[in-house]
Amino acid sequence: MKMDDMSLSGLDNTKLEALAHDIYSDLVEDACLGLCFEVHRAVKQGYFFLDETDQESMKDFEIVDQPGLDIFGQVYNQWKNKECVCPNCNRSIAASRFAPHLEKCLGMGRNSSRIASRRIASSNNTSKSESDQEDNDDINDNDWSYGSEKKPKKRKSDKNPNSPRRSKSLKHKNGELSSSVNPDLYKYNYSSGISYETLGPEELRFLLTTQCGVVSEHTKKMCTRSQRCPQHTDEQRRAVRVFLLGPSASTLPDPESVLENDGYDTPDGQLIMPRLQWDGSSDISPSDSASSKASTNNSDSKRPKKKKKPSSLLVSSAGVCEREKGVERGERERGGGGSSSSVSGLGGAGTSSSNSQSALALSNRKKRPRPPPPPAPNIYDDLN
Amino acid sequence: MSKELQMRAAINQKLIEMGERERLKELLRAKLIECGWRDQLKAHCKEVIKEKGIENVTVEDLVAGVTPKGRALVPDSVKKELLQRIRAFLAQHST
Repeated sequence: MKMDDMSLSGLDNTKLEALAHDIYSDLVEDACLGLCFEVHRAVKQGYFFLDETDQESMKDFEIVDQPGLDIFGQVYNQWKNKECVCPNCNRSIAASRFAPHLEKCLGMGRNSSRIASRRIASSNNTSKSESDQEDNDDINDNDWSYGSEKKPKKRKSDKNPNSPRRSKSLKHKNGELSSSVNPDLYKYNYSSGISYETLGPEELRFLLTTQCGVVSEHTKKMCTRSQRCPQHTDEQRRAVRVFLLGPSASTLPDPESVLENDGYDTPDGQLIMPRLQWDGSSDISPSDSASSKASTNNSDSKRPKKKKKPSSLLVSSAGVCEREKGVERGERERGGGGSSSSVSGLGGAGTSSSNSQSALALSNRKKRPRPPPPPAPNIYDDLN
Repeated sequence: MSKELQMRAAINQKLIEMGERERLKELLRAKLIECGWRDQLKAHCKEVIKEKGIENVTVEDLVAGVTPKGRALVPDSVKKELLQRIRAFLAQHST
């Protein structure tokens, strides 16, 4: 500070002015040098001449100013009216509507029309509707991979005959479908099974001793679940055995008598009452499982619900406590007055053991799926 | 004369120490870009580079070709403003 004061105080105005100009030229030269470094670097890196373009290329990239085109000269709404062809139904759908359509068409959505159309198709060759079987179908169905826990809910809504969606789909998908078709008929197919037509008799016999084997009316396949599968009733199992193996089915071991002993302590009166009732109305034919008679629907749909459990219990306990049952049965049959021919046949069996064969044949002819336990007549003999 | 050189060095030292030199440099840069001096010099650089060839051009070539033109092209208004600030600085620190 001292030096500055001393030196500057001795300078006159002209010298100060020269000093200022020197500083100024220094600054300008600095600026020039900076620019030169910058340009030199750009040249050596190769980007100095990038902004230089010739006129022809400039023309190619001119900004387009025309109606209907964007600034690059492209039609800006070219995607607006694109159409996609549905791979499922081969209709062409606007691109904006394609995803919702596919959802419905492929059956991914909740109200999928594929499920509906499949069910309508299956209901056309439905022979009979058994409501309990239907319910079991819902539970055990593995045809539809899509959330099985949702199904009961969905079915409830489907069963509503006033649902606009259902009536619409009925009209569309199946013109000749009459209003007499009960919405309850729409079932899920259960696909687990084997075709019994392709099997030899030996295989058939083996399968029937180990598996449920009831032939589905939708898929014409046999149920591959165990003998106790909840989807089918015991009488269905019996019917299919009689149907497939003929009267010789009676020689098959009765799996229920071996497996199910849990009906043992049920009061016998309860056991036999439904049995008799069942005998009285046993007009199921094995062809029921394959035919498409809607007339039998009502009676069939009600009957198994009532009888499924007691009849199985009866059979299961039949092998174990034959004696007591024999007594009661004989009384019942006599009291019943032979309401059906099979019952009277059984009653006759009580008198002589030789009649048991005719009773068997009779019961087979009457399509009773399984004959009464063979030892029973002997007991009757003892009794009498 | 040695006293004058000594004084100049002292003044420059002061300019840098106070940061006034950086401030002046930045001001000049902004003013020169604003008035198009930079673009003019760049165009001149291109001529020099084309003359020498892209591969052969050196910083020295550029400085030698550009600096005289750069000095001449600085607008008078910018020059005046800058000199004014330098004088103000000198006056502030000479008393």
